[in-house]
Amino acid sequence: MMKSLMILAAAALAVAWASPSGAADVKIGYSIAKTGLFAPAAPSQINAYNLWAEQVNARGGLNIGGKEKRKIKLVQYDDQSSPGNAVRIYEKLITQDKVDLLLSPWGTPHHFAIASVVERHKFPMIGSTASSVQLRSMKPGNIWFTTAAIPDKLAAAMVGLLKNAGVKTVAILTNQLPFGQENKKFLMPALKAADIKVVVDSDYPPNIKDMTAILAKVKAARPDAILALAYPGDSILYMNKARELGLKAKFQYVMVGPAIGFWRGMFKNAASGIVTLGHWSPHGENARAQAFYAAYLEKFKEEPDYLDSVEAWVSTEILEQAVAKAGLDKDKLRKVISTSNFDTIIGRVQFDGVQNAVTPTGFLQIQDGNIHIVWPKSRATAKWQAKPGWK
Amino acid sequence: MSLNFSRDALPLLLVAVGALCLPLLGNDYYLGVGFTLFGWVALAQSWTLVSGLAGYISLGHVVFAGIGGYLLVLTWGAVPIWLGAIVGAVGAGLFALLVGLPVMRVRGPYFVILTFGLAEFAKYVVINIESVLGKFSRLLLGGPALQDLYWVMAALALVGTFSVVVVRRLRLGAGLIAIREDETAAGTLGVPTMRFKLIAFALSALLPGLVGAMFVLRTGYFEPLQAFDPIISFTIVTMAIIGGSEDARGPVLGAIFLVLLSELLWSNFPQVYMVILGVLLIGFVLFAPNGVSGLLDRLASRSLQRPGVGLV
Repeated sequence: MMKSLMILAAAALAVAWASPSGAADVKIGYSIAKTGLFAPAAPSQINAYNLWAEQVNARGGLNIGGKEKRKIKLVQYDDQSSPGNAVRIYEKLITQDKVDLLLSPWGTPHHFAIASVVERHKFPMIGSTASSVQLRSMKPGNIWFTTAAIPDKLAAAMVGLLKNAGVKTVAILTNQLPFGQENKKFLMPALKAADIKVVVDSDYPPNIKDMTAILAKVKAARPDAILALAYPGDSILYMNKARELGLKAKFQYVMVGPAIGFWRGMFKNAASGIVTLGHWSPHGENARAQAFYAAYLEKFKEEPDYLDSVEAWVSTEILEQAVAKAGLDKDKLRKVISTSNFDTIIGRVQFDGVQNAVTPTGFLQIQDGNIHIVWPKSRATAKWQAKPGWK
Repeated sequence: MSLNFSRDALPLLLVAVGALCLPLLGNDYYLGVGFTLFGWVALAQSWTLVSGLAGYISLGHVVFAGIGGYLLVLTWGAVPIWLGAIVGAVGAGLFALLVGLPVMRVRGPYFVILTFGLAEFAKYVVINIESVLGKFSRLLLGGPALQDLYWVMAALALVGTFSVVVVRRLRLGAGLIAIREDETAAGTLGVPTMRFKLIAFALSALLPGLVGAMFVLRTGYFEPLQAFDPIISFTIVTMAIIGGSEDARGPVLGAIFLVLLSELLWSNFPQVYMVILGVLLIGFVLFAPNGVSGLLDRLASRSLQRPGVGLV
């Protein structure tokens, strides 16, 4: 018995040694909030990265400039939700771990914080889960942003959708975190220009525990639309209280939250009719989108996050296609990313400066448990419907 | 004025030699670690001025760093960066004087809770101001390079360490220690307790004001929830406990120990380092209650009988 085990072990070793050493793995590094304030948001992105690496490796590895294929090895660190830590981690990834490529961290603050690091080391990185008009003030060349959900464009698109839905009055509830504030800043003048009256305008702190007072005010004002510029935590608070009070507005927008799988599981039918931020749906014609959706669902037994998983996935698609063309040379990569067209699950993407110049800003709506693009009309997979009540 | 080697010269030497040697390793990663380390040393030393010497444990020290960072952001573009940082420090000091008047009348656990609450309060005031100003986080583009920030931070750590060494030798320091031992008795003996406490509180706010400004410059990004993160306050206290003494040595040893340990752990065990760190900290409190300083003293005297120097 012992002897056969020894032989087996020796054989295994021999195989291990003999296996085509060929090219070494491609090291791809990133940091993400595994602990701290943003930790609940990170899995959507980590899952997308892991799925991508797994699929690429199953295909034989990452195509490097059409010359060879090398397996991907992801190098991940926890930034504890702190942008300062993310800065140190990306410095370490670049100068110490000497990774070949970078993926982006979670969240706008982290993207902004590491922008100066990738700029200084001239190390191109494709961003994902970040959005702010401020990103346009960044120097293009080493960082790009895939999102179409930039607040000024969102405001214009939202007014289009509201008018289309025949909305005349709105209540705006705004989380004081940066993204909420920025959206409100652009929404207010856009609403005014479109003659839509704001009947309630209320800001609340990020860690709000009770929305009764605010929502009672909303109920009394009877607006056509409620725009809850919320984050995942308070979006749940909004849903529970709005259902309890039976808010009847036909248009209810919950900014961030409903795109996450567990969120819809929590509210089931009550979530029907909720409009949310996003510009991707698997229900369209895009074959890449359908394949991604099916693979994600199979591996993780839950739907992808229609915002974060999607943005993260798009960034990997762009990276993969750019590396296939340019190889690992930073200068060539930078050039290819800046000038090429990329085929992704949100359709064709091309960058103008740091931002995605193609994907139109859109909105999603939950209809019978599915999420559809309802705006803009050119990309809609379903028509907007009035919220059917809370059931 | 004589210097005790282990208590005074050692921490000063550690900071100075460390500051000169780290850049020799020659890459950004080590400079970044050094920047962080010296930031913590400066914060922990300034905390020691009031909490170590006078025994008023502050759990809201981050408020001064937050204010320093915020003032730098508000003056960004209007005045040179160095002036903005100084405005931050002075602002933090004035804030300490202002709130010190009522806050410093409270002792023990009430003081701990009050400082914590005050920091949270300041955080939400800033969030509201930003909201009224229509600002949604601030991006500061074109700040100084890491090399420059590193040298400033190393200097702050040195100044912080030096200030603890000096203050301990002044009448102020003796008075603060008397306050820690028995405030009523100290008052009776003629120590101007309120004045000393206020001075210590204001002094302890200056350096964090500068450190906060450096932190903002390092990331080029300001957002109140991050700048006023209470974890920063907790970390300062943790470093003091690990350092384990109320002289200039404790904060230096505590900061070095915690920064290097967590750096080694997260870079080598990125998935479980928090667990390991937690276990190590618990072990430390259980088996080395007097911190790194206590261990050093024990090693130096080679006697287990000698009582270590507690934190408070």
